[in-house]
Formats: sequence, structure tokens, C-alpha cells
Amino acid sequence: MNTVKDPKYMNPYLAGVLLGLVVLAANFVSGRGLGASGAIKSAIVAGVETIAPKHAEASSFYNNFSKAHDGKPMHSWLVYQMLGVIVGGFLSGVFSHRLTWKVEHNPKIQSRTRLIFALGGGILFGLGSQLGRGCTSGSALSGMAVLSLGGFISMAAIFGTAFMLAYFFRKLWI
Amino acid sequence: MGPLVVNEIISENSNLLLAFFIGIGFGFVLEQGGFSSSRKLAGVFYGYDTVVLKVFFTGAITAMLGLLFFSLFGWVDLSLVYVNETYLWSSIVGGIIMGAGFIMGGYCPGTSFCGAAIGKIDAYIFIIGLFIGVFIFGEGFDLLEPLFMAEFMGSPRISEFFGLAEGVTVLIVIVAAVAMFWIGEWAEKKFPREKY
Amino acid sequence: MKNIKFTSRVILSIVLVSLGLLIAAVPRNTTTPFKLSAEQILDELKSGTQYLEPDAIAQMIVEKDPSLQLIDVRSQSEFEKFSLPGAINIPLDNLLSPDFQDILNQDAMTNVLYANGSTRANEAWMLIRQLGYHNNYVLAGGLNLWFETIMNPQAPSTTSSNDEIAKYDFRKGTSQALGGGGTLTTSENKESSTSAVPKPKPQGKKKTVKGGCS
Repeated sequence: MNTVKDPKYMNPYLAGVLLGLVVLAANFVSGRGLGASGAIKSAIVAGVETIAPKHAEASSFYNNFSKAHDGKPMHSWLVYQMLGVIVGGFLSGVFSHRLTWKVEHNPKIQSRTRLIFALGGGILFGLGSQLGRGCTSGSALSGMAVLSLGGFISMAAIFGTAFMLAYFFRKLWI
Repeated sequence: MGPLVVNEIISENSNLLLAFFIGIGFGFVLEQGGFSSSRKLAGVFYGYDTVVLKVFFTGAITAMLGLLFFSLFGWVDLSLVYVNETYLWSSIVGGIIMGAGFIMGGYCPGTSFCGAAIGKIDAYIFIIGLFIGVFIFGEGFDLLEPLFMAEFMGSPRISEFFGLAEGVTVLIVIVAAVAMFWIGEWAEKKFPREKY
Repeated sequence: MKNIKFTSRVILSIVLVSLGLLIAAVPRNTTTPFKLSAEQILDELKSGTQYLEPDAIAQMIVEKDPSLQLIDVRSQSEFEKFSLPGAINIPLDNLLSPDFQDILNQDAMTNVLYANGSTRANEAWMLIRQLGYHNNYVLAGGLNLWFETIMNPQAPSTTSSNDEIAKYDFRKGTSQALGGGGTLTTSENKESSTSAVPKPKPQGKKKTVKGGCS
């Protein structure tokens, strides 16, 4: 009863090879890997600078980042790349007829529970990605592609922790 | 020849345009692979769906091999390709926090945007969480800075760290990944789930 | 006996392992030259890519950039009288001593060489560049320009552009952070600061890549 394999999705190994080619393209063109959390950081820095410029001025976090981007935090590679990700994901959804509004969750839990944990998970992931200098895409995947030691450490820490905690959160998923 | 931007073969502005197209490729592949579904992503931690393992490692290995072969053919100068810096403690602690976020939220930042693009409401909530998390880090930066900067190791490659040739290192990673793929497909048969 | 089924996993595994064996078997790409020719160095000199401006260095110091390594190539006695924060002393005479090669020939840090003016640091830079070492730069204008711009910045006139004023504010702030502000117009630089040192114009950009998720 191997019902999990959904024929609608691409063969995972083929998807993996294509993903690898995308990472390779990024490195060949721009000399860098992919990323996601960096774009969120750009948005946060831009937001804080607009809403509370005094506050942004006083904090080294916002200041450093803004200087590194010539004062234009939204004009960064990762922001444009993430806009592309949204478009690409949407196109793929159109292509495979997967566009629907829904809260995806285990039928054994309420969608409210799912959303609360999604929010909590997002907060943790956002915090961790800044501390770890990148998320699964920026640090682990792209880091591993260039054989960065840090990339391998990130990958082991992220997946290792998730495996260890899987038991405690099993009601959410199975 | 490559990287094209660093060697000033293409301009900084075309670089940003290309970033957009690379992003489209990234988003398309993630969504096609099923990374827009949190239940599919979380499956790897319970053995019922190991698509994450397969896509992630196949992707990393393809890119590694590609870069080394490109370098071999003289198409890309590896010394000009960004290698992520290693700050030991922030990598480990950050990774642990992210791991906890992953198992609770079922997404990582890249995949949540993919999920949001096809209308997953839980992905939107996760993204709101991401913004809050980054904001908390920004506000608490002075407190976290010692940990953030601790144990800077430069940008070592794992091959240099273990004193191996790069090709040999990649071969070891490939063998490990092939073993994991085998375990993964075994686990999918052992812990099957209903269609979701 | 079971037949081996050629599932996508088996096919991919075979392809990846064979490519892995291939890349493990070939020696590392050696197309990049280890030593640079005189022409290449002259080209780099002409384009001025080795210079980093005092403002850029000051910012790295203030931000405690862990990849910054300042290297003072003046003599030990000059170094002891005054040095920039966190600098180490490698006198020009000892530049090729094996003790210092690990510092000069590496990939992790951004080494910035400095002396009173630009000349001595440039000489050091040329020597180690010829050995093929990367990541070494020269503080443009040396300590003289450093004192002129960072420690004792000249207030711009009121008609200056916003950029100029912002630059001045940054320099003033940096100068305070580094304990300057007029007190450190030091005697050790007097002799050389009187001789008009032509300010080198840093034109080239540091050829590095930004990346990662930060």
C-alpha cells in the first residue's frame, strides 16, 4: 500500500538534479548560492528604517546591514531571487493544477492548532536563520554545494534536531 | 569565465534580473518536487515520505559535482565563488533553533514562500512567524552578538578541514547519500501513510 | 534470485557514483597560476585594486569584522609607538620569514597592510602578490591619510552635499570610537606627513563575492 507516492509530483531525484542545476547556475552567474531568509531580513531592515529611522540608526544590526547594501536594503540579490521563487512556485501550481486556498493539516488536529504551531515554527525558524547566518537554502544547501564546513554543520544541526524532536510533535503530523 | 558577475562579464543590474530568473527556477523546482506541502516535508522525520532527503541531497550533490567539473574545464574560478563563513557556535545553536522550527512549522523559509504561492494558508502564517523571528533577532542583536561572532573559523571547505581532496570528499558524500536514499525508500515502505 | 530493477534511485545512484569516482580520480584543477607574472602585477597596480580606503577599514574596525587583519609593515619600534587597533607587526625586512607565511598566505582573512605612507605597504604587497598570495590589501594613503580623514576629519562646508556631510559624521563617530579627535596627531608621523604624499586613488573594487543568507 504505497499510497504516498503522488504521481502529480515530479520524481524526487529528477527534481533534485534540477534543483542542483539551479544552485549551479546561481554560482556560475553570480558566484553565490541561493537563499531565502536573507530576503526577509532585507524586508525587516527596510521596514524598520522606514517606520522608526531613529531606532534603526541606533541598532548595529540594522546599521550594519544597511551599510552593506549601500543604504538600499531591498535592492539585494536575494530579494529579487525570492520574488522569482514566488512567481516560479505560482507557475508550477498553475501548471500542475494545485492552486487552492487551504490550511493543510493532519485531519486528526484542528486547523487552528496547525496555524498556531506554524506561527511558532516560523518565529523559531526566523530567529535561528539569523543566528545561523542562513536557512536550509542559504546555509545548508548552498553551503554544502561549495563544500563549506559551515553548510554541513548547519545541515546536521537542522535535520538532527528535527529528527530528535519528531517524537514530541508526532501528533501534528501522523 | 565564471562567475560571470564577479568577473564583470555581466553587469550588476543584469545580475539582479538573473537573480529573478534563477528564483523562478528555484520556486518551480521546489513546487514540482512537492516542497509546497508541509505534510510532505515533515514526512521525512517520520519516514512516511522522504522526498526532502532525496531532493535536498541530490540537489546538493549535483551542484557540488557541477562546480568541480566546471572548475576542471576552466569554466568557473572556484576561488571567486562565495564560500559560506563558519562561525561554529552560532551555526550549531542557530541550526538547533531552526530544527525545532522545522518540526513545529513544517516549512523552511524557501518552501514556505512556495507554499504561499499556491495558496497554503499555513504557509502565510509561517511567513508571518518568520518576520517576527527576524525582528526579534534584530532587536535582541546586542544580546546575541557574542554568540553570533564566537569561534570564527574563516571560510573553510569541509575538504580542507579533513585534509582530503575535494573530489574524494564529494565521493564520500555521494556514497553516504546513496545509502540514505536506500534507507529512505525502505522507510517509506515500512511506514506508509494514507494519501493526503 | 531477484532481478535488479532499474528504478530512478538505482539509475541516479549509478550515475552519481561514477561521476564521483571520476572527479575523485582527476587531480585538482591547476589552471589558475600559482605565481603571477610581472605583467599581471603591473596590471593590478595600475588598476589600484589592492587599495582599500581608510573609510572602509574604519568601518570594518568599528563593526569588529572578524575577517579583518591589519598588518603593520613598519619597524618594530614604530609599531610600538603607535599602531591601529588589533594590528600585528610584520616589518618589511621580515616579510619573507617562514613564521609569517601562514598569516599572509591564507583564504579566511582580509589582510590590510599599512605603513606611514603607501610606499612601504605597496612594496610588501607586491612581494607577496608575486608569490600568488590572495586577500592582501593596502591601506590607501597609509597612516597619514588615516589621520587626515578618520582621526581629524575636516568639517565640510555648509554648502556640501549630503553625502559629504554623512561621510564627515561617520568619520567623526569613528574617530571618537577609536579614541581619536585631535589628541593623536602624533609625532611619529610628523616627518613623513610634511612631505606631500600623493594620495592614491582607489579605483578598483575588492574582487570578492557577497553571499549567504545575511
